[in-house]
Amino acid sequence: MPPPKMPDLSSSMKHKYVKLGYQYLVNNFPTLLLIPILAYTALELFRMGPEEILNHLNSLNFSLLHILGSSFVIMFFLTVYFMSKPRTIYLVDYSCFKPPVTCRVPFATFMEHSRLNLIDTPKSVEFQMRILERSGLGEETCLPPAIHYIPPTPTMDAARSEAELVIFTAMDDLFKKTGLKPKDIDILIVNCSLFSPTPSLSAMIINKYKLRSNIKSLNLSGMGCSASLISVDVARDLLQVHPNSNAVIVSTEIITPNYYQGKERAMLLPNCLFRMGAAAILLSNRRSDRWRAKYKLCHLVRTHKGAEDKSYYCVYQQEDDESHVGINLNKDLMAIAGEALKSNITTIGPLVLPASEQLLFLSSLIGRKIFNAKWKPYIPDFKMAFEHFCIHAGGRAVIDELQKSLQLSAEHVEASRMTLHRFGNTSSSSLWYELSYIEAKGKMKRGDRVWQIAFGSGFKCNSAVWKSNRTIKTPTEGPWSDCIDRYPVFIPEVVKL
Amino acid sequence: MGQSQEKGQGQGSIYNMKLSTVGATRPTETGTTHEPTGLDLAMKLHYLKAAYIYTPEMARDLSVTHVKEAMFKLFDQIAWTTGRLWRRDSGRPYIKCNDCGARFVEGECNFTVEEWLSKPDRSVDEFLVYHQPVGPELPFSPLIYVQMTRFKCRGLALALSWANIMGDSFSLLYAFNLWAKVLSGDKINALETSTMDRRFPKTNPTVKDPKSIKQVDPVGDLWITPNNKKMARYCFNLTVADQISPHFPTNGDDQIPVFEILAGIIWKSIAKVREAPEPLTVTIIRKDPNDLKPIRSIRNSQMISSVHVDFPVAEASVEELVRCMERATDERCGIDEMEERCDGSLDYIVYGAKLTFVDLSEVDLYEARVMGKSPESVYCNVEGIGEEGLVVVYAAAKSDERVVTMTLPQEEMDWVKSEFGKCGLING
Repeated sequence: MPPPKMPDLSSSMKHKYVKLGYQYLVNNFPTLLLIPILAYTALELFRMGPEEILNHLNSLNFSLLHILGSSFVIMFFLTVYFMSKPRTIYLVDYSCFKPPVTCRVPFATFMEHSRLNLIDTPKSVEFQMRILERSGLGEETCLPPAIHYIPPTPTMDAARSEAELVIFTAMDDLFKKTGLKPKDIDILIVNCSLFSPTPSLSAMIINKYKLRSNIKSLNLSGMGCSASLISVDVARDLLQVHPNSNAVIVSTEIITPNYYQGKERAMLLPNCLFRMGAAAILLSNRRSDRWRAKYKLCHLVRTHKGAEDKSYYCVYQQEDDESHVGINLNKDLMAIAGEALKSNITTIGPLVLPASEQLLFLSSLIGRKIFNAKWKPYIPDFKMAFEHFCIHAGGRAVIDELQKSLQLSAEHVEASRMTLHRFGNTSSSSLWYELSYIEAKGKMKRGDRVWQIAFGSGFKCNSAVWKSNRTIKTPTEGPWSDCIDRYPVFIPEVVKL
Repeated sequence: MGQSQEKGQGQGSIYNMKLSTVGATRPTETGTTHEPTGLDLAMKLHYLKAAYIYTPEMARDLSVTHVKEAMFKLFDQIAWTTGRLWRRDSGRPYIKCNDCGARFVEGECNFTVEEWLSKPDRSVDEFLVYHQPVGPELPFSPLIYVQMTRFKCRGLALALSWANIMGDSFSLLYAFNLWAKVLSGDKINALETSTMDRRFPKTNPTVKDPKSIKQVDPVGDLWITPNNKKMARYCFNLTVADQISPHFPTNGDDQIPVFEILAGIIWKSIAKVREAPEPLTVTIIRKDPNDLKPIRSIRNSQMISSVHVDFPVAEASVEELVRCMERATDERCGIDEMEERCDGSLDYIVYGAKLTFVDLSEVDLYEARVMGKSPESVYCNVEGIGEEGLVVVYAAAKSDERVVTMTLPQEEMDWVKSEFGKCGLING
């Protein structure tokens, strides 16, 4: 017979209240300290009476010079403080590319094409089928037109067409949403890891929209799935230097030239997961944009583990025995991602966690170092620091791993899982699809904090913290507008194909 | 004419072929299936073909993207046709609606539309229809192939090859008309095929031993009609007034049964050439006359009837044959029952089991307008027919003309053509 549960319940309740009490005490410590001091001062003042207070003030012998001098010093320090404060970066709005329905790839179509393309290696086809069954993708993800051919026809023209389609559609949408005029763009940053033509994609945008000749444009390539936050970081730094400016960031991954055409299993994995997508984001440091901006950038932390060989080689582009180029994913990927995340958390933790959690983490750390290394490490409760989480939809395993290690509930990772299901792994732009999902569900309230975590080759872990500037009404147009009512969906562990 | 194409190789004068897939835009619910009826299964070894040719004026600006987008919208209405065949434990085939898609083939042609249409034997249009049989792996065989051929002059040919297990010629032509409507921007709404619609009236008494169907050796999972004879094709135009009417006495302004007369003449000519066995029984396939509502769904609704005569056909008059054809017996129920009895485990053929005549003349083929203009030419035929032969009759661009596509054993074709010459059906 199972032991009675009552005592356990009451002890866990007690535990919960103790924890709540502790958190309230530590987090509001300065306030709690200030109250008795203020109370004492007020009591003293009441006791003294108005004449005594005036006598006290007179005895201090303040001359005009003293007053002016002190005011000047105070003003000076205030000015220095405000001038040296970093400019607030606002995210005015962003738009995500919605692929045309003619690019849809149902599972059955993907498998049939796979069999026809890999007709001599049924084992590789079998492998792809097993990956697809467990991938967490849905039946509506999209591949570019060139990949729909049997065999795929990845010409440079086709790659440029895909780039034009995804980027220009996203940018047109962004212009419409924000009322931004192309000539007003001061900074343009494009990140696309695996397709880097000459002239660059940023030059392509400048040519199409006739942007200004003194625009500060950057094209980041080769930086993997975390490049979107790298672009935001660069934009932030540039916006500190240039007052009254805006920056447009375009994050995408062009699938056409990178579809692996060989039969090595480790390199076929990206084919199953990567799909078409793009996002265009408008950042600004103008005070006038403060009212209409959706988010404010609070923190951005970049962690690079490339100094270690095993991190450097874990996502590696190379040729196979038949000279087909593909991306080799190492088996240790999850472990390396976990370590990179730990590194990143160590930096971002102190910036975002409330004092109570930091104290607990610190004491657990000290305890493990001094007393007993076998103590369970305390995992700070990030749910106290954030309302929403956008975990890069790199694959089901990534989301599962992060959910476990950060102790998040299913609702917290819903945006990531549903983005993976509807759009697949769109690489650097996936964070924006996830953010769009949260908004489409009407969950984004004023003051909500969002944590975007991205992983990428290198091995990098970048995270950004945004604070919502206003409650966002469900947008009528967007990549989720025609399907949000169907979500969330139940994604089975294994889909029977 | 060999039908299995390697990817990239052209068929005859068609080159630069590229294969891709088109499907529906919305996902079908997992677990949806479509169950073929007994009649559907009886037709499984046959494939229906139609090729439409458009001039450069109509089709110059029509890109692959336009055509594919319209196809996607079409398949939204008939998403089950993009599924694949699987077998139940009993071996009975069914369609798993997994949105796998229809195969889309792009090709180019060295000729201009004018040059192509100037070829006297219209069976050259077979090159415009990409075809592969179902199998050897059922779950990976598309049921529909669409070929888009670009002529040298920027004219276009669009062709469909469609597994008969899904639906008859009327359904195929209806689907193509829907596609043309979508292309011109109209909204379409196809009826769902419920099991109700797919039943047909039971005749009284039910034909126990239908003549129009023949059992063939088991074909397994490769659905090709086993044939001992090599078949040849021939397609030609003729005018009702000049070539058909003279064979039939008219009573004033009465409408003459054009199809029956034509069938009668051809039956006679073939009977003169074919000595053994004499074609005393023929199969007539046409639109169900009781089907008053216009075709609104994809199914096998065609009427399959059998005509048997006791007298030697070669010497009979066309009038007698026409009268016999009017008394044809509807055999659909019998065919359906035969298949149901064996639960789809035996393989049959219908087209070519006996000499078969198909009447498509009531279908408005030229309704499939692109840029407001009707196609310049339409070609219809059936693939995978039996040794007895097939004759398909359908409307030509001009209302008083008909097109005849014949598939007969190669050894008979030239003799039959000369018989046609003798009775004035073809010139020379």
